[in-house]
Amino acid sequence: MKTNTISCWLLAAALALPLATLNGQPKVVPAPTSPVTGNAANGKTLYYDYGCYACHGYNGETGARPFVGAWGHLTTEETFLTFLRGRANVAPIVPSALMPNFGEDALPDKQAKDIYAYIRTFKSTAPDLKNIRTLNAIVDAAKAQK
Amino acid sequence: MAKSQKTSVGRRGFLKSAAGGAAGAAALVTATPLVEAQTGEARGTAPAGSVPAPTDAQLNREAGNIRPPAAVRTITRPASDVMVQTLRELGVEYAAANPGSSFEAFQESVINYGHPPNVMPEWITALHEESSVTMAHGYAKAEGKPMLAVLHGTIGIQHAAMSIYQAYYDKVPVLMIAGNDPDFIPAHTAIDMAGMVRSFTKWDTEPKTVDEALVALQRAYNEAITPPMGPTLVVLSSEVQKENVPNAKVPTYRPPQFPTIDSTSAKEIAKGLLAAQNPRIAVGRLRTPEGVKRAVELAELVGACTSTAATVGPMSFPQRHPLCGPGADTAYDYTLGLEMPGAQVSITGPELAAIAATRDVTNIKFAGIRTPARGTFAGRAAKTATPVEADAEASLPLIIAEVNRQLTSDQKGRIQERSAKHARANHDAHVTALEQAVLVKKAGWNGSPISTARIYAELWPLIMKEDWCFASPSAFSGSHNNQLWDHNKPYSYLGGQGAGGMGYGAPASVGAALAAKARGRFVVNIQTDGDLNYAPGVLWTAAHHKLPMLSIMHNNRAWHQEYMFVEYMAGVRGRGAERAIIGNTLRDPFINYAKMAETYGMASEGPIHDPEKLSAALERGVASVKRGEPYMIDVITQPR
Repeated sequence: MKTNTISCWLLAAALALPLATLNGQPKVVPAPTSPVTGNAANGKTLYYDYGCYACHGYNGETGARPFVGAWGHLTTEETFLTFLRGRANVAPIVPSALMPNFGEDALPDKQAKDIYAYIRTFKSTAPDLKNIRTLNAIVDAAKAQK
Repeated sequence: MAKSQKTSVGRRGFLKSAAGGAAGAAALVTATPLVEAQTGEARGTAPAGSVPAPTDAQLNREAGNIRPPAAVRTITRPASDVMVQTLRELGVEYAAANPGSSFEAFQESVINYGHPPNVMPEWITALHEESSVTMAHGYAKAEGKPMLAVLHGTIGIQHAAMSIYQAYYDKVPVLMIAGNDPDFIPAHTAIDMAGMVRSFTKWDTEPKTVDEALVALQRAYNEAITPPMGPTLVVLSSEVQKENVPNAKVPTYRPPQFPTIDSTSAKEIAKGLLAAQNPRIAVGRLRTPEGVKRAVELAELVGACTSTAATVGPMSFPQRHPLCGPGADTAYDYTLGLEMPGAQVSITGPELAAIAATRDVTNIKFAGIRTPARGTFAGRAAKTATPVEADAEASLPLIIAEVNRQLTSDQKGRIQERSAKHARANHDAHVTALEQAVLVKKAGWNGSPISTARIYAELWPLIMKEDWCFASPSAFSGSHNNQLWDHNKPYSYLGGQGAGGMGYGAPASVGAALAAKARGRFVVNIQTDGDLNYAPGVLWTAAHHKLPMLSIMHNNRAWHQEYMFVEYMAGVRGRGAERAIIGNTLRDPFINYAKMAETYGMASEGPIHDPEKLSAALERGVASVKRGEPYMIDVITQPR
């Protein structure tokens, strides 16, 4: 059996980071409209094979680092490529679960653009809160507690 | 205590006399005389310095191919019966074990002693010693007291070692017995069997007589429950277990003394709490449900708002108690820490460091084990008092008595008014935090695979009015209970593994379910897939003993944390990440946990991909565990 104390702490810390918030409300950034040149079908396979889903979920809206609704570095193809190439490339002292560095040798521009094209197809699957009976019931139950 | 009545000089002598008699000799059906197999001469065929392999005779006996020799002594009251009575009087409810010849006498007593036959401790069939000890770990965290895990010799102890290590690191009282049969299979015995785990147990002993053994069981129990709590081990030789002790009695039990603050400190703390305009009590992890009651009593008595560690582990302040929260005013002028740092006073129990230093005979020096596990939760005050080393739970009655003595009627009025303000503020703060949380939790609501937040959210309305215990660690499934659920019982959430070791969730949940079964509650186990695969046989234990345990698989088909570690390294080295799946994923083939549960005799359904089908499945699961039957739902989930 392995021990995973560090892993647990890192994960707990990562999960403790919520989406960007504004006045306590999640700040929802509209989906980008910049041009896309890659092949989304290829990108779907790459998104899975390169383990993007491990942190960003299968639809980019769950997990340790969701991005649907908080697009940041994913606003354009160019900013995405810059972000991929500019990650830390020094071996960490302790294991790191942060976003890896993807050099061009490891992930050529064409493949990166395919991944970007796939990412851009992501849309939130979350309905409007008022239509989620379960979550409203939870809040109502809390309000009723006295 | 009565003297034991030794009717033989040990098994070797007993077997010699049996083999020497015609009846005994006739009973042996093996080609190798049993008496010879038990002697040092027979073992001497192994190379010097090595442990010999079991002989044919030994293996035949283990396989049940030999009938034992006819009895030459009459056992009227086996020592193991008195051991069972001792454990029963200590309130030990369960004994979990995977069977082994070294405790055959003890096991026979647990199942047959008394009229009608004994039911307490109840014998719980485990499929792995690691599961036995982790069951005891989960039980102790739910109840604040030990159950028993029984281990078979050197091999059982080594199987259990990881679980013992976790219980030690988690400061959880676990009582263990290891059987030792020095005249049977040599590889299963050792001169100092407990030495293998001494560096991470609190106390151990190997009594040589029945009298010593009975006292040892009581002491092991006391050592386990006395701060710093931890696992304790009594090695019982098979001969001691089988001794005939017709006049033996259970020794008079003396409860342990818990270290408390002195009366002067109690007076000063009471004075400080009552003089403060806005006192606060920071509550960490206490020992037992009784400690939680006393913490609530003190907070209500002085009108202090409190912090809690109830979303981190068991035995802390009720999360939705009206006084729990930031309160009406966060400018606290007096903070008392109970197993937590406090600005004015911190009462914290002794750490294991001093004990560990004397028991680390192998000089292993486990890296993290010497650092305090407590007091690291959120809520640490900026300025903290030097900790007073005492047990907070045992000290609470002294503080409460002093507060009652010093409390004036004027103060009572102010406290009532302050408490009402805190209650309103804490309620509002909770609702506000929840309204913000659900906006985040709804992300991926209709996605497939299913979001972990949706599992927690859909389950909560189904259990919020029930008596439940969430026994598995939640960190790897998103910890959504922290924001969405109310942790109001000492056992609402049992926290992490202790040492971060995997293979913990299911057996800890089974242990918690043992506690739950007799108390009309049920256990929730949100089970990560990698963790279950260490010793899934524990599902059979839950099915066999009809334990109220609802397991919901967080089936994300990988170890995503480790996946990312390797991805990061690949990124640093510029080698690409597409091969990081190797060793980090559970694909090709996928594992069907519903079928796994079914194989072990547990009702189950899934795999569920469609989030719209989740709620109905959870309803069926809750209905099942409310009937007292375990249930598993395999849910295909987002990675985290």
